[in-house]
Amino acid sequence: MNTFLETLNSRKGELLSTLIEHIQISFIALLIAAVIGIPLGVILTKTKRTAEVVINVAAVLQTIPSLALLGLMIPLFGIGVVPAIIALVIYALLPILRNTYTGIAEVDASLVEAARGIGMKPMRRLMKVEMPIAMPVIMAGVRTAMVLIIGTATLAALIGAGGLGDLILLGIDRNNTHLILIGAIPAALLAILFDVILRVIQNLSYKKAVTLVGTIFIVILLVALAPLLTNRGDSLTIAGKLGAEPSIITNMYKILIEEETDYNVNVEDGLGKTSFLFNALESDDIDGYLEFTGTVLGELVNIPPESNEAEAVYNQANTALDEQYDMTMLEPMAFNNTYTLAVKRDFAEEHGLETIGDLRQIEDIVKPGFTMEFNDRTEDGYPAIQEAYNLNFNDVVTMEPQLRYQAIESGDINLMDAYATDAELREYDMVILEDTEAVFPPYQGAPMFKQEFLDEHPEIVEPLNKLSGMITDEEMQDMNYRVSVEDESPYDVAEEYLEENNLLE
Amino acid sequence: MIEFKNVTKRYGSKTAVEDASFNVKEGEFFVLIGPSGSGKTTTLKMINRLIPLTEGYIYFKDKPVSDYEVYEMRWDIGYVLQQIALFPHMTIAENIAQVPQMKKWKEADIDKRTAELMTMVGLDPDTYKNRKPAELSGGQQQRVGVIRALAADPPVILMDEPFSALDPITRESLQDDLIKLQREIKKTIVFVTHDIKEAMKLGDRICLFNEGQIEQIGSPDEFLSTPKNDFVKEFIGYQQKERVTVGEFVSENSQGVNNEDYPLVEEETKIEDAFKVFAEHETVAVKTKDGNKLLNRQDVFKHLSAKRGDSA
Repeated sequence: MNTFLETLNSRKGELLSTLIEHIQISFIALLIAAVIGIPLGVILTKTKRTAEVVINVAAVLQTIPSLALLGLMIPLFGIGVVPAIIALVIYALLPILRNTYTGIAEVDASLVEAARGIGMKPMRRLMKVEMPIAMPVIMAGVRTAMVLIIGTATLAALIGAGGLGDLILLGIDRNNTHLILIGAIPAALLAILFDVILRVIQNLSYKKAVTLVGTIFIVILLVALAPLLTNRGDSLTIAGKLGAEPSIITNMYKILIEEETDYNVNVEDGLGKTSFLFNALESDDIDGYLEFTGTVLGELVNIPPESNEAEAVYNQANTALDEQYDMTMLEPMAFNNTYTLAVKRDFAEEHGLETIGDLRQIEDIVKPGFTMEFNDRTEDGYPAIQEAYNLNFNDVVTMEPQLRYQAIESGDINLMDAYATDAELREYDMVILEDTEAVFPPYQGAPMFKQEFLDEHPEIVEPLNKLSGMITDEEMQDMNYRVSVEDESPYDVAEEYLEENNLLE
Repeated sequence: MIEFKNVTKRYGSKTAVEDASFNVKEGEFFVLIGPSGSGKTTTLKMINRLIPLTEGYIYFKDKPVSDYEVYEMRWDIGYVLQQIALFPHMTIAENIAQVPQMKKWKEADIDKRTAELMTMVGLDPDTYKNRKPAELSGGQQQRVGVIRALAADPPVILMDEPFSALDPITRESLQDDLIKLQREIKKTIVFVTHDIKEAMKLGDRICLFNEGQIEQIGSPDEFLSTPKNDFVKEFIGYQQKERVTVGEFVSENSQGVNNEDYPLVEEETKIEDAFKVFAEHETVAVKTKDGNKLLNRQDVFKHLSAKRGDSA
């Protein structure tokens, strides 16, 4: 409990800002869904056959897994709040549409006849009789949609829309239950709060309800726009994947650029997967992001490394990027965040394991747990290992990155993939098996931009290149440990490193 | 005021109303009656175009109903439903105000009219105007249903079995109120019922339907004195006029009397109440406007048994 309160206290600023983001996204998505769903539901009561088709289409949209839907939005609408809101609207449409349709269709026939009989025109009949009588059913649909939106909006953090999902995903990434709760509990409370507001709105007259919703909308819009209005100078957006390391490095980029130029830098750390980021860069939603040389070869340009020399790989990746996408990586840092295979130290000692090849003698007792990505990468993942070392394990379990450490601690698995700079290697007392066949290419981190962008903003190159050749594996491991285990702020850790190494004036 | 000329309504191959022609005069209380499925409600709803007609013409104020803008025409034709169908989310005053609002009356005029109408049907405006329909009894609700139809002072009111959902006592009191009301407001009323007693009590003229056809149109007296055919006879004879007061048991032919040898009974006395007098006396004198008339036990029993269809 105490640690929970400590975590809460250290995160209260973040909690407030993500809570506000969450409210903004949810409210706007709900409002749009209602503005589309209610009139559409009303129109559908006039054409029964079309109604069934439309409601079925909405039902199909509802079955798309939320993460998939968010992923689909990136190529179309980029990253950030806009695609998140579109995805949420798609989700929320069905309950609102279906309840409006049912509510209106089930108004007592004699009341409709009375309304027609006394000469109400269709619009007046709708507004004065059908809508008010159907309102409880419609609002039940809106409330269902609201709960769906607030829940699903926690995933919007994966495409850079922010919200309480930032805290929850960070908590999952760091294996920090308190952090997860600090994100999840306000989300639940928010759902209850919205429910109360919706009940109040339901009991108001049209005029008052519209005024109230309008006021909330304007306030939210102002809160959303305020930061844009106060911004001086141009702003750049630099992004990174989910995890402590990208957070620290992108914050270093921010500090360096803001120190030496007039630009403001927005750090969009914690974005989902490589493809999310690359798509976002292509569609100019972000200006640059932290990428790794090996990932460029393996996933983006899809060519095998010609050599395992770090510099050669960097040159090869940069040339291919330039040819295929007209993009450039600036000079890389020293640390090599490559894939490795790791085991517990006592397991290694017991079986005399030093290299990956040593695993062949104990193939039968090895229980590997890999990330889905590693299990799937043909160039430098498990398939490549199998081929190079002639290894074949029986049942490979694939799991979320953070769960592997718990699994290896509990003995469910005894071999896992890891990144060389993972803080947990130190935390869980593990050793890395040497890659004698050089299957894993070097993974050196560097900021990646469109060439066109660099041509327009040449002044950012020099500050960013200050990190060239800096930060060793050990330094990175240490900084990762401080952020993910000791819960220090990535910004502070980044700033401290830059100061200690005299990279700031 | 309303004229039907050879009006036919068909649903596919089924004929609901066939070749109906009649004329409802201004200020007349015109009753459409018949067994269920005879076409009486269809006929009513063709007047305000809730049901479109198939053939023929219906005139409202000498113009075919199809020539009117349908919504505006309905503002001039009040409509009372069997299901009452007050709007449950509106107050009583709001329910009544609907047509005046659509006619763009001033707020003050609407308030005044609402209060006036509520008073007319015995609902205190201050007590009831802000209540919801569910807070009223069935009889009170249908009183509101009637004044909702009257609100904008339309020349014509259509009533579709308005009292059939009410209990007998309430129904009777609403019938009485409607007669009183009609004397004051002199509207043209077209009234659908399946209850011949109600038709006889309320109607200036009755129009009897059977299987989509009109069997007879005439005043209640004409129905009693000259029923056109066996169907009409059966329909009304089945529920022949019930004699309720002592006065209805005496006729012009009854013997007059001037002395005080017999106990005297007022003609408005209910026959049931007179029974205890008959228990003691063979013959009583009934006080009528034509002087006192004699009525004996035999006459009473003859009439009562005839009413039940037995031979005297």
